[in-house]
Amino acid sequence: MTHGELKEDIAAYALDALAPEEARKVEAHLRACEECRSEVAALREVAGELASGAPMVEPPSALRARVLAAVRPTPPAVTLPRAWAVSLAGAAAAVLLILAGLTVSLQRERAALHARLAAQGQVLALLASPTAKTASLTGTVPAGVRFVYDPDRRRAALVVTDLRDPGREFVYQLWLIAGQQPESAGVFRPVPGQPIIVPVAADLARYQVVAITVERGPHGVPRPTATPILLAKI
Amino acid sequence: MRGLLSLRHSGSATDEALLAAAAQGDVRAFEALYDRYSRAVYSLALRMLRDAKAVEEVTQEVFLSVWRGGRDYDPRRGSARSWILALAHHKSVDAVRHQRLRAADRLSEEMTGETDVVGEAIRSVEGARVREALAALSEVQREAITLAYYQGYTQQEIADRLGLPLGTVKTRMRDGMLRLRILLGRSMQGEQT
Repeated sequence: MTHGELKEDIAAYALDALAPEEARKVEAHLRACEECRSEVAALREVAGELASGAPMVEPPSALRARVLAAVRPTPPAVTLPRAWAVSLAGAAAAVLLILAGLTVSLQRERAALHARLAAQGQVLALLASPTAKTASLTGTVPAGVRFVYDPDRRRAALVVTDLRDPGREFVYQLWLIAGQQPESAGVFRPVPGQPIIVPVAADLARYQVVAITVERGPHGVPRPTATPILLAKI
Repeated sequence: MRGLLSLRHSGSATDEALLAAAAQGDVRAFEALYDRYSRAVYSLALRMLRDAKAVEEVTQEVFLSVWRGGRDYDPRRGSARSWILALAHHKSVDAVRHQRLRAADRLSEEMTGETDVVGEAIRSVEGARVREALAALSEVQREAITLAYYQGYTQQEIADRLGLPLGTVKTRMRDGMLRLRILLGRSMQGEQT
């Protein structure tokens, strides 16, 4: 199409009175033709005046709010849909539950720390006692396990510095043996890189042997079910 | 219309400055543009579409285009005002043509001339300045421009409707627009001062 032919369509273009394919041809021409561009600009001003020929009606204020909300970064607390608010309440409740759970587990941890400190205090007291004795347990596995006891004070502690993991479903069980009669003195699992202290309160003069067996966890058994892996005479 | 004009001159910033600021993400500048032009955009869409829901959709689309496309605006191609109103007209035309496609029965009724579309269109023109300018055109020029601008018909549809060669419609439209440019140009100049 020539410049002259397209120029005939400029007015219709400014009035949006062209079919889409015709409008595209004019647009392509406008990119190359300064003269037609300035004519479109002038006729658009005229068309803009025609716009004010429409009876003026105030748009609803809700429309203003909607348009502005669409461009404004939304403050989440104010404009959250109801469903979100509900799930937020759920989330808050979940946080409270988690906090409550944390409190419980912190309390447990605190109790465990207390027990450990008490056990350590007991071992310190045992070591400081002039009458305390130490027996190293030996057996079928390499281990760093000592039994510290004070017959006079009816106190003892098993100090485990090196012992391999017994397997997921198993625990070590400590036995005090008087004659042929083993009595359970507690169960434990080793913690890698960390010594374990198992405190014992008993009339130690009654026993001749301490022994450790591997038993099914987590609470151990009333009577040993296996041959001791470690033992020591006391 | 008087309200529109006074609003348009109430802020100190020009439309062009506001449009440039809005293109940079300035929400307040955009808000000012909305307050200056929402009435004109909404009223034009309402004049063309009638349907309140469609009018609101068009108005929202126009201003979202202003927000997103403000940087496409080229001052060498006319004022920010005419750019926004052209956007409003373009989207209203799209919507009105879409409406017609969906209501083909009504279209054929209008096309057979059973209702006085042109007369109705001209009578509904408000704003003394525009009405006077349209009145100063020849009847055939007024008819062509009114059917195109306010009714959203293409030049081909107008030719078909009036039983005229397309070239005749083009000439009437073009002569009418150039005449309006002179008639409204005086008042457009006056408005700037």
